[in-house]
Amino acid sequence: MSDTDFQSVITPPPADQLVLETRNLNFYYGTHQSLFGVSMPVKRNGITALIGPSGCGKSTLLRTMNRIYDLYPGQRAEGEILVDGENILGPKVDLTSLRARVGMVFQKPTPFPMSIYDNVAFGVKLYHKKSKSQMDEVVEKALRRAALWDEVKDKLTKSGLSLSGGQQQRLCVARGIAVEPEILLLDEPASALDPISTAKLEDTLEELKRDLTIIIVTHNLQQAARLSDYTGFMYLGKMVEYGPTEELFVKPKVERTSDYIGGRFG
Amino acid sequence: MSLQSARHPDPVDPIFRGLAFAAATTLLLTLGGLIVALMIGGWPAISKFGFGFLTSSTWNPVTEVYGAAGPIVGTLITAVLSLAIALPIAVCVSVFLTQYCPKAIAQPVSTAIELLAGIPSIVYGMWGLFVFAPWFARTVQLPILTSLDPESFWGKLLAGVPNGANIFTASIVLAIMILPYMSAVFRELFRSIPPQVREAAFGLGCTSYEVVGSVLIPYVKKGMIGVVMLGFGRALGETMAVTFIIGNSHRFPDSLFASGSTLASTIANEFNEASGVHLASLIALGLVLFLITFTVLAIARALLSSQRY
Amino acid sequence: MDRALRRKFANQAFVVICTGAALVALAALALIMFSLLTKGVGGVDLMLFTADTPAPDSPGGLRNAIVGSILMCGVAMMIAVVIGVLAGTWLAEIGGNTPYGHVVRFLNDVLLSAPSILIGLFVYWWVVVPMGGFSGWAGAIALGILATPIVTRTTEDILNLQPNALREAGMALGASQWVTVRSIIWKAAGAGMLTGGLLGFARISGETAPLLFTALNNQFLSFDMSKPFASLPGAIYPFAMSPYETWNTLAWAGALLITLAVLGVNILGRWLARDKDHK
Repeated sequence: MSDTDFQSVITPPPADQLVLETRNLNFYYGTHQSLFGVSMPVKRNGITALIGPSGCGKSTLLRTMNRIYDLYPGQRAEGEILVDGENILGPKVDLTSLRARVGMVFQKPTPFPMSIYDNVAFGVKLYHKKSKSQMDEVVEKALRRAALWDEVKDKLTKSGLSLSGGQQQRLCVARGIAVEPEILLLDEPASALDPISTAKLEDTLEELKRDLTIIIVTHNLQQAARLSDYTGFMYLGKMVEYGPTEELFVKPKVERTSDYIGGRFG
Repeated sequence: MSLQSARHPDPVDPIFRGLAFAAATTLLLTLGGLIVALMIGGWPAISKFGFGFLTSSTWNPVTEVYGAAGPIVGTLITAVLSLAIALPIAVCVSVFLTQYCPKAIAQPVSTAIELLAGIPSIVYGMWGLFVFAPWFARTVQLPILTSLDPESFWGKLLAGVPNGANIFTASIVLAIMILPYMSAVFRELFRSIPPQVREAAFGLGCTSYEVVGSVLIPYVKKGMIGVVMLGFGRALGETMAVTFIIGNSHRFPDSLFASGSTLASTIANEFNEASGVHLASLIALGLVLFLITFTVLAIARALLSSQRY
Repeated sequence: MDRALRRKFANQAFVVICTGAALVALAALALIMFSLLTKGVGGVDLMLFTADTPAPDSPGGLRNAIVGSILMCGVAMMIAVVIGVLAGTWLAEIGGNTPYGHVVRFLNDVLLSAPSILIGLFVYWWVVVPMGGFSGWAGAIALGILATPIVTRTTEDILNLQPNALREAGMALGASQWVTVRSIIWKAAGAGMLTGGLLGFARISGETAPLLFTALNNQFLSFDMSKPFASLPGAIYPFAMSPYETWNTLAWAGALLITLAVLGVNILGRWLARDKDHK
């Protein structure tokens, strides 16, 4: 089997549970193609993980789902990405409301230069006018769901930059979920964190997955196995295997998947 | 014994260190010498006129009475006005270059702006004198003069000899002069922001206006204030761009289109014909200029201590 | 959803304003360069370089001023490079972290942006008055003082960029600090330091204010720097202010010369710095 020639094996979730689905997605950085016909059906609520060696396109795939790549001229996607049945790659899509529905948390924490409270309220203010007391509620709820409330409730007016790295990352999660998105994208959110902060962040995600669809890119196989309900393994810009996490880790259908999971390459 | 004495110490080493230390100290002595020169040189004027030197607007070489209020006010007005014009434009230019402009154009334009920041100020002054002032007199001042009631508020604010040499035109020339510098440094500041911060803001669904206004500008606020202060310092002390076009009159400016003077332009204009108390008064103007700019620059440097520009 | 509409509208207005302001700013700057070119080119001929500054309404050139500027800037740069490189090295390698080092660095930053006319006053008081008159030396010293902080600053910045391993490697061989700095650090930082020197040179070659009462001016070609000395900016200023058209033309030609020189030196500096990055 050559490096680029293989069959994708996709085990989709039940059709009535789909929230997002990429269909035959190609992606280009200028003239360089980095995704090749990726199809990925994502189940509503729960955690879906993307794994694969660095440069395999898992972050690129994630970045198409809220069209953040649009910031960079020359990057473009072909194919379809359906969110609740609507193709978000279409020309008439309103990017601000798309990004309100599909939130994102990045590899490094990105608190804005303002207070903890304002960081969480920032996104909400974009879409709704709320009274002070309503906003207080929204902020508290988001911080509680992100499991950060107890640590910051006495210093909400302090700068978001004053928190530790792990707290900053959970603040970014809180900021993302305060807008009440359907889907939250996380791009290696724990790669800059120590093990304890990582464990806390994972607990947070476990809590959130009951009423939120989480898609997480991770280079940490244990993390994917621990957290996720579905897993996609990517290699060289293609989706090699996609299916329920247990099946993929325990009895992968593609040899390359079992090689990667067994640590034989990548 | 200690390891150090195992080898012959290099005899040049202490000389090198001494010379380097002396060179560093030269900088200190220069600034100290500047203050001493300005104080001693300006003392005859300060002792003769006392505090009134700062508040009087009489500047009369015939009666030998000198007061700095006119040039001080002229300096502050032109500097503030030029900053008020240049700051929003510089922000817009840097935002345009970092956010909206296609990369293929942004790079050469940015380089051109950085190069323009190095053009000698005398060029801006000459352009002001030969091109801008006559144009301004013809197309702005004359129509205003003929159409406005001279007794009305606007009439008073915009009164003046229609020759284009006044505080307002001087401020515009100054603004154009500090514009490339401020735009270039603002652009650097914006580029220093990690791209993930920008992505995170867009990822929440911000429009680019909200990203720039609520996230990016606050992110570099301290640096921006520092740069603004540096630009202010430049505008305060700029000589040649202003001297050509401000009209050089020492009275207290009573309208926006009145001719005036700044501390630096007065010194440049009169120094070589001055002697006695007149000369001392000019040096005292230098002392005032030094105190103002030193304060502004010190604040700017304190704000920029984390980033160096 | 009028909120969404309002946001969209505000954003579009912002984009339009930014683009518009950028175009206005660029147009203004382009206009100045256009004036400089059209008015300056007319005065550029062979005589500009072969004849000295003339009396009003008679033909002439700027030879004495060009020679004067080159000489004064040359001497100024020698002063600035010697003091600036040593001071910058002291800040980066020896005493930069001491309290005294912080003071020196701060004062250097202040000097860097201090009004140049004050430097003129300084040199007038400490050089012109004691020496009994205006001179080329005084002008060169004033320009040197203006360039020194620039050289100091770039030297310190460039030296700080050199990896510590380089210093440690030198010291580990038993080299003294002087040898390490001279034959390793300065050599590694050479291109960057040269760029700093060029930037300083570009800055002072157009400076006018500090020359007005240090070097004054000289209508004739002179190489005696103990006498009043001609310079390009020193000739341009009175010529531009004068009512005589021939003088005005010469002033524009001179301004064009200075600008081209400054641009040329700046571009050279950038090119050198970039060349180093690629290695």
